[in-house]
Amino acid sequence: MIRAVSRASVVVCTLLAAACGTNPTQQVSPAVYSPAHRTAADAAREFFNIRSKAEQPIPFPHKTHIAKKAVCTDCHESVEKGPIAGIPSVKTCMICHSQIATDKPLIKEVTAYADKGVEIPWQRVYGFTHESHVRFNHAPHIRAKVDCAACHGDLAQQTVAERSVDHTMGFCVNCHTAKKAPNDCLTCHY
Amino acid sequence: MAHRWGMTVDLDRCTGCGACVTACHAENNIAVVGDAQAAKSRAMHWIRVERYWEGDFPDVRLKFRPVMCQQCDAAPCEPVCPTYASHHTEEGLNAQVYNRCIGTRYCANACPYNVRFFDFYNPQWPKPLHLQLNPDVSVREVGVMEKCTFCVQRISAAEIDAKAEKRELKDGEITPACVQSCSAKALVFGDLNDPESEVSRLSRSTRGAKLLEELGTLPKVTYLARQTQV
Repeated sequence: MIRAVSRASVVVCTLLAAACGTNPTQQVSPAVYSPAHRTAADAAREFFNIRSKAEQPIPFPHKTHIAKKAVCTDCHESVEKGPIAGIPSVKTCMICHSQIATDKPLIKEVTAYADKGVEIPWQRVYGFTHESHVRFNHAPHIRAKVDCAACHGDLAQQTVAERSVDHTMGFCVNCHTAKKAPNDCLTCHY
Repeated sequence: MAHRWGMTVDLDRCTGCGACVTACHAENNIAVVGDAQAAKSRAMHWIRVERYWEGDFPDVRLKFRPVMCQQCDAAPCEPVCPTYASHHTEEGLNAQVYNRCIGTRYCANACPYNVRFFDFYNPQWPKPLHLQLNPDVSVREVGVMEKCTFCVQRISAAEIDAKAEKRELKDGEITPACVQSCSAKALVFGDLNDPESEVSRLSRSTRGAKLLEELGTLPKVTYLARQTQV
């Protein structure tokens, strides 16, 4: 019985490794960029849409900022202009925090990054996987008056941003259908 | 009225320089497969410059013909696809949806122009060359079919810009990478539904002909025959 299970697992692993599709004449190394999954486990995780939680270097409280009447576009500046909303630079933080709440321990951490001239290594929370082949553009959605919360959840209730809405294709298509937006494959996949 | 994207290729102007091929590779993240794979006819060029020698030495003449996906209206690649990965959009493009493609390669076998390419392996770029990859275009992985899209990312970007500025698209506003890089202006891209556009005007020319027209594929690329004798 154990032998049968181990044999089956070897077959599965071999198949998955084959599915990674590396050219036998080329070596996969960290010095090479390739859309291949590094391991079979990576491939399985992506297939089942299992993603690890983003660990932020500083627990940024969205809730506090929104309560103080800051709006999303104050920090995510390029959301109205282009495809990427943008994770704000530490310089954006310092516009306010060079003056406000400078004595708080977390703000001191932010100031330390700014003094060193280093960006805070924020982790991306949303975003599509490579294999979804999705090209998303924020700007037309903002112009179509789609609320940020429609796709990102109510950040006024969150401290550190969490992936509270699952960006599956069904989620996108339902909204596109309701708003009579184009639903052709080439709208997003190219 | 919906757009209907098309192209004309003036064979009188083409010098066979190959700038279109290079530009296409750079724009569309097309992998270079290496000599071993190329020897197996697995080289990928969404646009290629065909070269024809005519006559016997020393009286020879050289002719060039750039060939890309002809974006046929009656495309042989579409009905053979079991997953609808290859399908026709409302704007008349032959779309290839990588997510749906399961790599049967039926479409490449059906295509009479030999412009569809299969990813036999995952493409690789030695770092930091991967930083040159165009973020507006997918990097295709192993097992999918890929082909010329008429630079749909540029069409899409121009349409979004025009909509933001609440205006119609202007003729010549959209240039696929090959058209943009063509120094001889042999390639012209535009809307065939607009009778005033340059591409419409050129495709009505008496010099115009389609590749393998007799097959009834109704291509949207028109080739303007050579007139001058070199």
